[in-house]
Amino acid sequence: MPNLRAEDLRALLGRDLPGLLQEAYPLHLAPPPAHGHAPPPFTTADALVDADRIIEAALYLRDTLGYAFLSDICVVDYLADGVFELVYRFYHVEGGPSLALKARVPRESPQVPSLTPHWPGANFHEREAFDLYGITFVGHPFLRRIYMWDEFEGFPMRRDFPKQGDKYIGEEE
Amino acid sequence: MLKTEELQINIGPQHPSTHGVFRMLVTVDGETITDLKPVFGYLHRNHEQLAEMNTYQQNMPYTDRLDYFNAMANNHAYAIAVEKLVGIEVPERAEYIRVLMVELTRILNHAGALGFLINDMGAWQTQLAFGMREREKILDLFESASGARLMCNYFRFGGVARDLPADFMPRLKDLLLAMPGFVDEMERLLRENEILLQRSEGIGILPQELALAYSVTGPVLRGSGVAYDIRKAEPYSIYDRFDFDVPVGSVGDVYDRILVRIEEMRQSKRIIEQIIEQLPDAQGGYMNPKARQNVRPPVGDVYARVETPKGELGFYLVSDGSTKPYRYKVRAPSFINLTPLGDMCRGYKVADVVVILGSIDIVMGEVDR
Amino acid sequence: MDIPRGNIIVMDRRRGKLRVGQGLIQGLKVVWDHWAGSFHKNENFSQIHGTFTVEYPDERLPLPQTYRNMPVLLYDDESGHELCTGCYQCQRICPPQVIHITQAKDPVTGKMVPAATEFIIEYDACMSCGFCAEVCPFDSIKMDHVYELSTADRVSLTMRKAQLNRPISYYASIAPDLWAEVQAGAMKKLQGSIKRRPDVIGLAAVLTEKIKARRLELAAAAAAAPAAAAPAPAAPAAPAAKLTPEEKAAKLAAMKATNANKGVAAPPAKAPVELSPADAKAAKLAAIKAANAAKQAGAAAPPAEVPAELPPTDAKAAKLAAIKAANAAKKAAEQGNSE
Repeated sequence: MPNLRAEDLRALLGRDLPGLLQEAYPLHLAPPPAHGHAPPPFTTADALVDADRIIEAALYLRDTLGYAFLSDICVVDYLADGVFELVYRFYHVEGGPSLALKARVPRESPQVPSLTPHWPGANFHEREAFDLYGITFVGHPFLRRIYMWDEFEGFPMRRDFPKQGDKYIGEEE
Repeated sequence: MLKTEELQINIGPQHPSTHGVFRMLVTVDGETITDLKPVFGYLHRNHEQLAEMNTYQQNMPYTDRLDYFNAMANNHAYAIAVEKLVGIEVPERAEYIRVLMVELTRILNHAGALGFLINDMGAWQTQLAFGMREREKILDLFESASGARLMCNYFRFGGVARDLPADFMPRLKDLLLAMPGFVDEMERLLRENEILLQRSEGIGILPQELALAYSVTGPVLRGSGVAYDIRKAEPYSIYDRFDFDVPVGSVGDVYDRILVRIEEMRQSKRIIEQIIEQLPDAQGGYMNPKARQNVRPPVGDVYARVETPKGELGFYLVSDGSTKPYRYKVRAPSFINLTPLGDMCRGYKVADVVVILGSIDIVMGEVDR
Repeated sequence: MDIPRGNIIVMDRRRGKLRVGQGLIQGLKVVWDHWAGSFHKNENFSQIHGTFTVEYPDERLPLPQTYRNMPVLLYDDESGHELCTGCYQCQRICPPQVIHITQAKDPVTGKMVPAATEFIIEYDACMSCGFCAEVCPFDSIKMDHVYELSTADRVSLTMRKAQLNRPISYYASIAPDLWAEVQAGAMKKLQGSIKRRPDVIGLAAVLTEKIKARRLELAAAAAAAPAAAAPAPAAPAAPAAKLTPEEKAAKLAAMKATNANKGVAAPPAKAPVELSPADAKAAKLAAIKAANAAKQAGAAAPPAEVPAELPPTDAKAAKLAAIKAANAAKKAAEQGNSE
């Protein structure tokens, strides 16, 4: 049963794909408070890779390391730092714990190459990320909203999306 | 030569075979499907954002509503995720109770899912009624333990809400007496039934490589011949203490998925029998007395997954050190298992679509979240 | 690949030795067996044949004790006191946020009292998770077993405290074991709460007779003081030994009333600009007491007045007392006239 840890993956990626790894700077989960202690920032042990070269890293995981099973793509909105972090989670078919690849994209122009041409299973994950966070996956064959209706404006899971009020209430028919 | 034209039709969203409000945008050439796009979101309630506005503890009953057939399994995944994040120990007895509940859930889900699948094939209500009867007995057990039949909300961080009632074990043993008869009977009814074979053999084939590429999980993946069961691949809870087999299919069609589900019920029964043997020796109460419910995990992230009857259910949690999760993501099995629906249906007839969809076994509460 | 503690079984797709059509007949036999079995009743879990449904509205399946549907509030059968202390634990934990509590205040001192004056649960949005019952430190909220709650409109599912009240005996009848587990602790805590509850606060609103009796009792206690005080202002107002909160409050009110009566006749006191609901209630209460007292004394009280000079700290209290006394006097006069 393969049992690679996040540190091993970082070492392997640094050896085989130079320039791909990025330094995982700590992220702030909340804007600094006016007084009192700021909560400790969020640091990650997982491999943070260049968002533009995510396909390269993912294919390395699949073809070289055998982590062929793309289980999950998750987006986290770090509003205070102005980045989205994408978490790609891979499993080995033989079993064992997961390996995660993380990529950070700026909130203003979130663009990532799509994994769907290589992993058809990424299709709905990426559509969900586009629908709820507005991340554009370049090369996705059918990047449309998946949960919200097509005319919906805004991206409801972003942390700056208003939590209350409804612009549709009170509108003329 | 007749000139044919492609036609787009909608199956659903209000259609009895779609298991909820689910729409399939089907392009047909005559009776043959050339393209199929699943459309959903009719039940979308932004579950993930609701969860970010609630505390960790308050989210537990909301996870029941994801896959309302398997509330216990959802509870399990979420409890494991939070326990991993906070570092809560679970007493042995609580683990046994949890696994017992989850395995009962697996039996009831497969009994129901096969019933619905046969229902979709046109055997109106026959198999469904038999399956529902067994499901009903298990739900009675759930009700006596947790207080509710479907929305159990039974698991807590560090254990379960309350101990098993006194009459639980005798009733469970009665149920296990009936179980082999029920599963054998189901197999007698289905396995060599010519109508079922006609409708399921060679239909909706998902080859092994494609199943992996599509990230499907659960009985759909195993039906395609990949022996990937999280209970074996990455044992969580106390699954490494039980002997059980992993059934896989060889072709990857609807028939294989039916056979895999029938066999999984038998394996779940095996696990429950081992639990009944080992439970009296289990240490600790049903709850870790030191575990706080209103948890305040340290800053960090965690991904925990379990094998629910439908596949891999994972929770990705990011904590900012407060009582509310900063990010709460659900990796829902039925949602991802729907991805290959278009490829599985291409080339088959319209009547096969409902059968293929039924064999995936989706629940819209989980797909739409 | 191989897996620990188990094998991989490849499902056998081969047919048995059945000939064409026999599989179908075999399946039909299963259906036939069930049909034949449906004429007797399915007795227990170990049988797979037989009818296991019941004729629902006429016949009901027994519910397990742990069954939970909607939360209700318990009150003590004997004393009539509610177990709820208004601690807000349930309101805080409620996932859909449907519990709304108003904590009771002492009418005289304005301090918090361990009781809830209003307790609203919106049944229409309640998700029956049972967290409120689980978290309640006083075992006041419990989950009811009644599931037939359908109404024609949404508003009638907003349950107020009077609709939520159930006697402990009811809960003990639906869940005897669960109640036996917590009974001792709950009753001990209730005794503690009762000691700190003045007036009729904390009595279940449905028990009108109990409340009436309690009011009479309080009025009698209050009357004892001014009756003694009216003829001889210097006389001791009340025995000093008893000092439970409600008695203290009654004594205070009585003293205020006597003080006001002693004052020179003057135009009726002005009402203060703003009266919070609690104050209004308190004033009304005091007025009733004073009226009763005046009636008992047998003399129509002269209209009261604010004493001209008072230390600033007492000014507010005195004003309040004056208003109360004035109202009381007015009422007493009216009553005197009508009689």
